[in-house]
Parts: sequence; structure tokens; C-alpha cells
Amino acid sequence: MATDAPHIPAVTDIPPVTDIPPAPAGGPGRWSLRALADQARDASGLKRLGIALSFYLISLAIFGAIVATQHADPFSVYWAIIKSAFIQSGSIDQLLVRAVPLVLAALAVSIPARSGLVNVGGEGQLIVGAIAGTWVALYALPGAPRPIELIAMGVAAFLAGAAWGAVPGVLRVALGANESVSTLLLNFIANDILLYLLYQPWKNPLGTGQPESKPLQTAATLPGMFNGLNLGVIVVLAIAVIVYLVLRYSGWGFALRVVGGNPQAARRAGLPVKRLMVSSMAVGGGLAGVGGMLYLAGTQLQLLPGGTATFGYTAFLAAFLGRQGTIRVVLSALLFSAIAISAPGLQLGYGLDGNAVDILLALSVAAPLALSSTRRKAV
Amino acid sequence: MNGFEQALATGIEGGTVILYPSLGELIGQRAGVVNLGMEGCMLSGALGAYVVAAETGSAWLGVLGGAAAGAVIGYLHAWLVVKRQAHQLASGLVLWFLAIGLTSVLGTTFVSRTVTPLPVWNVPLLSKIPWIGTIFFQHDVLVYISYFLVGALWFVLYRTRIGLVLRACGERPEVVAAAGRRPDRIQMAAVILGAALGGVGGAELSVVYVDNWFDDMTNGYGFIAVAVVLFAAWRPSRVVLGAYVFGVALAAASVLQAHNVSINQYLLDAVPYLVTLIALVLFARIGSAQTPEGLARALNNTS
Repeated sequence: MATDAPHIPAVTDIPPVTDIPPAPAGGPGRWSLRALADQARDASGLKRLGIALSFYLISLAIFGAIVATQHADPFSVYWAIIKSAFIQSGSIDQLLVRAVPLVLAALAVSIPARSGLVNVGGEGQLIVGAIAGTWVALYALPGAPRPIELIAMGVAAFLAGAAWGAVPGVLRVALGANESVSTLLLNFIANDILLYLLYQPWKNPLGTGQPESKPLQTAATLPGMFNGLNLGVIVVLAIAVIVYLVLRYSGWGFALRVVGGNPQAARRAGLPVKRLMVSSMAVGGGLAGVGGMLYLAGTQLQLLPGGTATFGYTAFLAAFLGRQGTIRVVLSALLFSAIAISAPGLQLGYGLDGNAVDILLALSVAAPLALSSTRRKAV
Repeated sequence: MNGFEQALATGIEGGTVILYPSLGELIGQRAGVVNLGMEGCMLSGALGAYVVAAETGSAWLGVLGGAAAGAVIGYLHAWLVVKRQAHQLASGLVLWFLAIGLTSVLGTTFVSRTVTPLPVWNVPLLSKIPWIGTIFFQHDVLVYISYFLVGALWFVLYRTRIGLVLRACGERPEVVAAAGRRPDRIQMAAVILGAALGGVGGAELSVVYVDNWFDDMTNGYGFIAVAVVLFAAWRPSRVVLGAYVFGVALAAASVLQAHNVSINQYLLDAVPYLVTLIALVLFARIGSAQTPEGLARALNNTS
């Protein structure tokens, strides 16, 4: 506080509300979370990094404490996560394959975020993409040559995801319906449609009675590459590069940023704000749809319930961890993929519930959220 | 009691599950904070209530446990959003995720446990009224408390000084600060209180309505509560209506199933979400004009 000012009128003593009342400048002994975070606001470079790291360490400690309540040794759990992500044979392959839907669903969050929209519908968009892919492979175009089959599946998945994303976009710009809530509701609707298909019309007649579709024919699956990788990894890499370039250098990408930065100014400048917002939702949803299809054709090889396993939500967190920058978002999605693939191992080895890693994912996003001390937009 | 009355009575019970978190969300949003983590508050409330009820044998202590568990998640959201100025929608979803993980890990040992649910208590005289009695007055006491809560919330919001200050926080916190109050503290309190109500809704779900605990049992009801508040245009009376409409949609699905109507169960399951989405769309225009100004910035992701 300005202690050297001689006399301050009483009114200025009222803390500004858009801001937090500044902490007593982090004197020695003020090692509360708030003091730390407040220091991070003005600090730069190394110090900020240090504070961020200490927040992550606190997150890890909290996770460890929770793990310990389940009679598992926290340190061996950490080690198990690292091993399953990076060290075990084939783990990098698995990480990359798992990252296919995650990266695309995360881009489905970050592209609409450019225009100021919050898309929480990645989950539903993944699901309808997988449904559309299955429909092409099993019912619309079965038995086509592999390249045609796969391209048709990808196009159908993109269109389905784009529609599933564009609807809440249209509802927002035309009627003012909040898109974060409507996309969430659409996730549940998509999941119920998936279950309906798998329990009735698309149920595998030769299956074990479990809800599952018929297996895809080989021509409808992604060709494998070296090790455990499949073509999906290359496709995602290519899409990520294209998204990066388009958002950075194209007129569309620039217009989205203008809309997200200041819709009023964008409107006065003659930009078709509503159309831009809807298009960002459609492109984002379409990419998530492709993600669902690639996961179907590359990993699952038949339509399964809960196949996307909350990837859509994990991707949302990854997008926020990466603060909506394309490269950072892709890296965050890879990190989350690494954490996510450890879930089965933790379940088998330590009796931890499969959702235990969600705690770690949530904490690793909560830490930077706590540090973003100015009200930051999703851009 | 015929099927129709049965459906409406079940609708009130299911509606109560949504009503508590909706009223809680209303309090927070009126103070300018949207809590998408209401889903997480409900989920932890559902587990908290179930754990306490199973361990102590008292469903009432369970309800308190549920409120406390919801409030813990609410405190985290309030801290992130009010004190750290974090992105409100992101923070809510992060805490929902945290709640999924926490409840799955901590709840594993309670999956097979049983609790004594809150008993049904027929209100003397009132429950004898044909129709109205069976629909409104043959429930557990939490349902009756929710009737009072709606009136109390309306009174506090519109007829008391603290209600005025709370609403002002949702419009222009700087005015509240200029009047010599701490809007951040009021917002914190509103979010935490709202989250505790969300926890009570979770308790109603696990200890009364479903009478069981399983992973992710709230199934998006907390998100529906947020939608209810939006399409109810931040009015307690309309929130009640919205919650009961959802409750009836939920009950209709199970009643139709019980009567062997040949519609796929999962398509029926989608109906409540679809109804909520349609309501959200239909009333969005009307509501948006009444959005508290400060809240609008958070909702529309503009600052």
C-alpha cells in the first residue's frame, strides 16, 4: 500500500473490487497460499515459475494425502504414474494414441474460446463423431475400399460434430442461450443416444450381450504404423499444425480474435460477429467429432458405451491449462493423456478407483487458475 | 393413488433434488458468481450424506454431512473465483472434476453399504386433501423444508437489507464497496451457502430418492440446476416451477417404464435434459434482459 503518501482521503481506502485487497506485501512469515499467489501477480520470470511450481507441489501433496487414506503409498503411486506414462515399454505409444481424441477435443475448446465462447460440449461432440463414423462403416458404406471408407467416416464425423457444436452456437447468438450450459446438456443427450443405439438398433447380434456394436471391418480401421501407433497420431499432428497456422495467419483466425477481444468493436468494424462465433463452434465441434471417429477406428474398433471415458471434459481442462494457445493446449493434452493412461494401473496395483486420476487433473488446473490474479478471458 | 398422481408426487420428490441446488445456485448467481461446480457440490453432498448416515445411522446427521461436503467444494470455488479472480466457468468445471475423483476414491467402501433413509411423514390434515395431499404432503421432511426455503429466500432477497446488498453484488460490486461493505466477503458467503444447499440436494438424492450411493450418481443434475436458474430469470418462484418440471420429466420416464411403454429406456433418460435445453432456449431471450450486470460478464465470458 502507498504508505509514504502523506494523507489519503477516506474514500480511496476502499479496496477496489475488481481487484483483491493487496496482501501485506508478503513479509517474512507470510507463507499462506494467498500471500504466495499475490506475490506471483507482480513477480515475473523465475519467481513466478517458482511460485507456480510450489502450487503444483501442494497439489501433488494433496493428491498424495488422498491416496494415503486408501492405504496406498503415495510415492509408489507417483512412481507408477511416471512409469506407466513414460518408462514401460509401449507407454509412449499408448500415450500418443490416447492423446488423439484428447488433443482434438481440446482444440474444440480453444477454437471457440478465440471468439469468446465456452464450449464444454467436447464430450458430446466426440460421441456423435464416433456414432457417425460407425454409421458410415457399418450401415451407410460398408465394404468400400479402405481410403474411401476412412475418408467418408472422417467427413461424416466432422459434419456430425460440427452440427453438435453449431447448434449451441446458433442458440447463443440467435436467442442468447448460454452456450456453456447448453453444450453440457447436449453431452448428456448425446450419451443417451449412444446408449440407445447400443442397446437396441445397433446392438451386436453375435456379441456377449454387452452393449456394443458389431466390430468394424478391417477396411474401416486405421492402418497401424510402427510399434503400437496408428495413422490417427499423424492425422492429429497434421490437424494441430493446420489449426495453429489458420488461427495465427488466416483472416478467419484474426477475425475470431477480434470478436473474442471486443465483440462491439468487431461489429462496428463490419465483421459478421454471429457467423464467426457459430463457425468457431462448428469447426471446434467438427474436430472433436473427428477425434471420436479416430479413437473408434484406431483404438476401440467397435462402438462402445462410455468409450470416450470423459475425454471431452479432460480436454476442457487441458485447454484451460494451456490457456487456449494451440501449442500449449496440445502439450497440455499430451500431459493429461500421460496421467490418464495410468488409471488402469492404479486400479489394479493399488485398488484406487479409476477416477482417482481426475483429482490430479483437476488440481493441476486449479493451481494455475489460482495464480491468474486478473479476471482473465478464455483467450 | 393412481399413476398420474404417483408421477406428480415422484416429480415433487425428484424436483426437490434439483430445487435445493437451484436455490443455492440462485443465491450465488444473484451475488454475481456462477457455479458450474454445483454438480460437484451435489456429488460430494450425496457421498457426504451417505457416509455420515451409514456411519451414524442417522439420516438427519447425513443431511448435515451432505451440506458440509457441498460447502467444502463451494469454498474452493469461492476462493478461486472471488479471491483469485479465476475464470468462473473453468473453476466450476475443475471442481466438478475434483469432486468426481474424490467421491469415487473415498466412496468405494460405501458402495455396498445401506442406510436408513429419511422417513416419509404425512402432514396431518393437509395430506388428507385429495390430489394436493398425495402430491405435496406425503413426503420426507426435507421436501417440506424446501417449501419454506423458497419463501424465505424470496423474503430475504427482496425484503431485507442483506438481500439488497447481495443483489447489488451481482449487479455492481463497486457500488457495494463504495457503500462501505466488502463485496468479496458477501460473494464468498453466498457461494458457500449455495454450495451447502447443493450438498443438501445431493443428500436428498442419495439418502432419500435413490437410497443408494454409486459413482457419478448426480448424473448432470447440478448442471440442470444451473440451467433452471438461467431460464427462471433469477426468480425464486420460477426456479421452483423449473425444478418441478424437471422432476416430473424425470419421474415420467420411470413411470412410463414401469407401465411397460415400449420406448427405449435411454431415449426416455434423455428427455429431462432435452426438456431443460428447450426451456433454456425458449426463455433465454426473456431472461437475458434481467441478467444481473456483474453476473452477465461471467456468464458471457466477457470481462
